[in-house]
Amino acid sequence: MSEIMATGTSITGDIRSARSGRPVPDAILALGLMVVVTVAWELAIRLFHVPTFVLPAPSAIVRQLIESRARLASAAMSTAVEIFLGFMLASLTGVVIALVVVRFERFGRALYPLIVLFQNVPKVALAPIFILWFGFDLAPKIVLIVVIAFFPVTIDMLAGLQSVEPSFVALMESVGASRGKILMRVRIPHSLPYLMAGLKVAITFSVIGAIVGEFAGANQGLGYVIEFASTQLDTPLIFAALVVVSVLGLAFYYLVELAERVLVPWAPKFDMHRRVA
Amino acid sequence: MSVLSVAQALPAGDVSSAATVAPAHIDARNIAVDFLLEGRRQRVLNGINLAVPKGSFVSLIGPSGCGKSTLLKVLAGLITPTEGQVTVDGIPPHEAAKRRVIGLAFQDATLLPWKNALENAAFLLQSADGSLSNADSIAKAAAMLKLVDLDGVERKMPSQLSGGMRQRVAIARALALDPQVLLMDEPFGALDAITREEMCRCLLDIWERTGKTIVLVTHSIDEAIFLSREVHVMGTSPARIIESLPIALPQPRSDDSFSEPTFKAAEKRLRALLFESKRGPA
Repeated sequence: MSEIMATGTSITGDIRSARSGRPVPDAILALGLMVVVTVAWELAIRLFHVPTFVLPAPSAIVRQLIESRARLASAAMSTAVEIFLGFMLASLTGVVIALVVVRFERFGRALYPLIVLFQNVPKVALAPIFILWFGFDLAPKIVLIVVIAFFPVTIDMLAGLQSVEPSFVALMESVGASRGKILMRVRIPHSLPYLMAGLKVAITFSVIGAIVGEFAGANQGLGYVIEFASTQLDTPLIFAALVVVSVLGLAFYYLVELAERVLVPWAPKFDMHRRVA
Repeated sequence: MSVLSVAQALPAGDVSSAATVAPAHIDARNIAVDFLLEGRRQRVLNGINLAVPKGSFVSLIGPSGCGKSTLLKVLAGLITPTEGQVTVDGIPPHEAAKRRVIGLAFQDATLLPWKNALENAAFLLQSADGSLSNADSIAKAAAMLKLVDLDGVERKMPSQLSGGMRQRVAIARALALDPQVLLMDEPFGALDAITREEMCRCLLDIWERTGKTIVLVTHSIDEAIFLSREVHVMGTSPARIIESLPIALPQPRSDDSFSEPTFKAAEKRLRALLFESKRGPA
């Protein structure tokens, strides 16, 4: 929900400042912080002799990453496919629901509470049911991702479709533009920056959906590796897989952000990056 | 212009009561508007009579909440009055709008952020019923951008334009419809004082060059006197026109207009009326 608020309030605040005059780039600061935390972690493990199966040191995780690189890479590949397909389908579902709610107003008013109700069902609990219905392959993971990730897309897209300046709609109507024309030419393009905000949330949900889906029943993927490693008390492997999941999620997130920059260059910039026009 | 002559001939033939005087370009008779507020009917406009001659420039001025924007929306056909009749160019305003007789500008420029100045100026014309070809619309929009002194910024995006420039694009967008009537709701309300004056001059220039019928809703006494042939002062509770003041400043208006005794007299009168109306029901 905070996503919508951010979009709503900053839609006019298109402030772009030049890059000059910034002493330390954010990236360097972030990297520095990461190094500090990692070193502290490593020192704490060594100082207090924490057993590896409880919490491995960063060095042990890195060693594991290198040793199991082939296995992790192939697991990452199948998880990435699930995330990608699930995210695409979730986005499509979210957009279609938003368009239906806006285009068929009365039906939309009836549908909307049901969608919100459905959103409050704990989706993670649905994973075993999907396994039961769709088997162990790709299908149950994708369905799980769709039900987890479509909601922010629908909500943000709706906010965009409905937040067109009423006076501008009146202007269009006054010259005889049809509702369909207003939807196609004004509401949909207007909603794209909102949609992108929803997609950014959806992609992170998609990663969670894929892992949970693999937990519930799978024979490949990073979630399966984590599940398997935990039965073996192979904590370094769990953490190595977690590192890969994080990197994968980050990569997907920045892909969506890249798409935003290319497709919706007029989108308000409300993230922490300062971009030069 | 053949449409115009037909439209003007209509009331004379059909409406016997209107046949005695030349029909006004914008004619509002006995307008009343009720809004439903929290389930209760509230009268926001009452007994409004307004006749704007063709090619005239009139202003509606009054305190906030006096219903001047509502009246403008009635004239534009965006609100159907509860009582009374409106004609613009002899036909109901929503029909007139569809035939592109009416151009509209609001306080916010409401430009589309994903389209450049030229595309924005052409957008309404392209969206209109039975619109021109794309190339014709763009050509028309380009000419209108020139008219509002914006040649050279056609390719700029709205975020790259100043507030005054954005408002000019919005005016060009309205003008591109080639309307006979231009209705403006505080189009300069969001601009700084210097830009406002520039925009006033620009609007005056447009009016002198095109001879359109213009109705301007404004808060500014100076603006109203400087631009208008007639200023209608509105009062609250019930919202109505309390006085229609003709402005007999010599044409064309210029910076000297501000120092004319007529200007000073009109300013004094308007000020008195506005503060009187603010005090509530007389």
